[in-house]
Amino acid sequence: MLDSKIKAIRIAEIFIFTCALLLVVIGTMLGDSFFIRLATEALIFGGLALAVDLLLGIVGLLSLGQALYFGFGAYMAAVLLKDYQFGFWSVMLAVLLFSALLGWLTSFIALRSKGVYFALITFGLAQVAAKSVYNTRALGASDGMVGVPIVQIATPFGSLNTGDPATFFVIVFITIAILYFVLKYFLHTPTGRIWNGIRSNESRLPYIGYQTAGPKRAAFVLAAIVAALSGALYPMLRGFVSPELMFFSVSGNAVITVILGGVGTLIGALLGSGILTIFKSIIGTLTVHYHIVIGLIFVIVVIFAPKGIIGYFADRIQKRTSHG
Amino acid sequence: MLETLQFVYAPQIINGLSIGVAVILMALGLTIIFGLLDVINMSHGEFYAAGAFLSVTLMSLGISFWATLVIVPILMVPLGILIEKHLIQRVFHHKDRHILTLLLTFGIATVLEDSYKLIWGANTIKPETPIPGASEVLGVMFPNYRIFVMASGALLILAVWIVIYKTPLGAIVRAAAFDKHMSASLGIPVKRVYALTFAFGVALAALSGVLLAPIYSVFPTMGKDFILMAFTVVIVGGLGSIKGAVVAGLILTQLQALSSLYISPVWSDPIVFSVMVLVLMFKPSGLYGGMKNA
Repeated sequence: MLDSKIKAIRIAEIFIFTCALLLVVIGTMLGDSFFIRLATEALIFGGLALAVDLLLGIVGLLSLGQALYFGFGAYMAAVLLKDYQFGFWSVMLAVLLFSALLGWLTSFIALRSKGVYFALITFGLAQVAAKSVYNTRALGASDGMVGVPIVQIATPFGSLNTGDPATFFVIVFITIAILYFVLKYFLHTPTGRIWNGIRSNESRLPYIGYQTAGPKRAAFVLAAIVAALSGALYPMLRGFVSPELMFFSVSGNAVITVILGGVGTLIGALLGSGILTIFKSIIGTLTVHYHIVIGLIFVIVVIFAPKGIIGYFADRIQKRTSHG
Repeated sequence: MLETLQFVYAPQIINGLSIGVAVILMALGLTIIFGLLDVINMSHGEFYAAGAFLSVTLMSLGISFWATLVIVPILMVPLGILIEKHLIQRVFHHKDRHILTLLLTFGIATVLEDSYKLIWGANTIKPETPIPGASEVLGVMFPNYRIFVMASGALLILAVWIVIYKTPLGAIVRAAAFDKHMSASLGIPVKRVYALTFAFGVALAALSGVLLAPIYSVFPTMGKDFILMAFTVVIVGGLGSIKGAVVAGLILTQLQALSSLYISPVWSDPIVFSVMVLVLMFKPSGLYGGMKNA
């Protein structure tokens, strides 16, 4: 099983990379900006889903409020870019540091509980934050903040313009890829092994000499950082932020994405986000009621394939190798 | 002193009570379903909306409001049984049951909400008030229909309480919640109890929908705004506890109503959710334990 899962993940990684490459090449040739921007958005929300999968699929904690950190990153980036004329690198650094702090502080609230209660407490936290932002005049209240300027990114190879869709897509792709590989790296560290242990049987770990509080906190903070850094990219793409970014629908969508792609695979989060985005834009042109279809697919996946697309293909690979 | 009490506090307290009864009605269904099945029903708000929409449709066919109060909950029972038997039971024995059922009902909620938009459109429907006029309560003018909702809601809550705690039927439900294997070996049809209890919760949500439609209007996302408050009440009171839902429902809605005298009402939501987070932090099982303890 394990072997086939690794194979399925590898195939998904190559598939996503190929799609991204094709999109950039064909997109620039045709001068398209709509689909490239759509793909950029899929990647950004894929980053949020990565954070959800780290908690749900690896550590076994269902977060229903990950949009809190996503929105925090988005708002912080918007404020810094618009009002303080920060550059790309300093924004990302500031978001990284402050989201780590926020994640660390909120972990003392959220990690007091487990299971269903953890899900509800994260939901409650995000709700408090979303409603507070919604009421805060300085952050644009219910209207959000518009007019976030286009950023120039200073690199050793010259300045990159985020206003150019293809350039920004590549930047987002690289950022999300870095987040993905950092998380993947962590899975193979001793802490990562403990995360797996917590998911399988948390009460057993202390008996064999492992503390679980520290690794859980580390995962929670890491998930906050990943969500916030993805969120920080959002205002650079769309030029605005709104309190809706913190609402339950965003957190809930991230959970749907992860379940669809494959829980506990990390790459499933990105794959799921891509598929859902394509799906929404195709069905969205036919009817405005695409939520019915997405909801139905979600129900079917939860009942019949709780391991998601990656899990399904892993089983297929498993069968083929055991027969042949 | 007396005047402030009469003109400042009394209207708020009565308003809070009328919202409180509504919220408790919603919370009861949620907490019964959790108490027995261990399922967090994320689609409860959509069943509430279903009740309101069905009532509006039946009324447009010429059926009186009072008849829909009876017909709609009966119509919802088969739907509840179907969902429990064919969807929830499929993931019920999985080891991540809590998470899977939560996700499943979340999916059902998504489908239902968009179906309402498809069938009834996204516009707000305002049903006519079944009892017009207003009366004086404690020196405050109060719409008659709200008084009716408060009274009938309180009766309903009492009725549910009696059914669960004072009748043989309630004893069966509580026994199944306490130990399903033991109950099954004593001859209780546990599976049927599960399906019927879920359907009962659904019917209760739908009934609240019918009752509250003339006050809060009918629109596809009407369940969403309301369910958050009901969830908070259930959590603060203790998941699975009927007494907890009633007590927490009254406390939280009064907190909401009275706090709006001192701070802008837009902050009442963050305050209520903060209370929920605090309760989850320090006493995750809520004010009272589950149905099993009582």
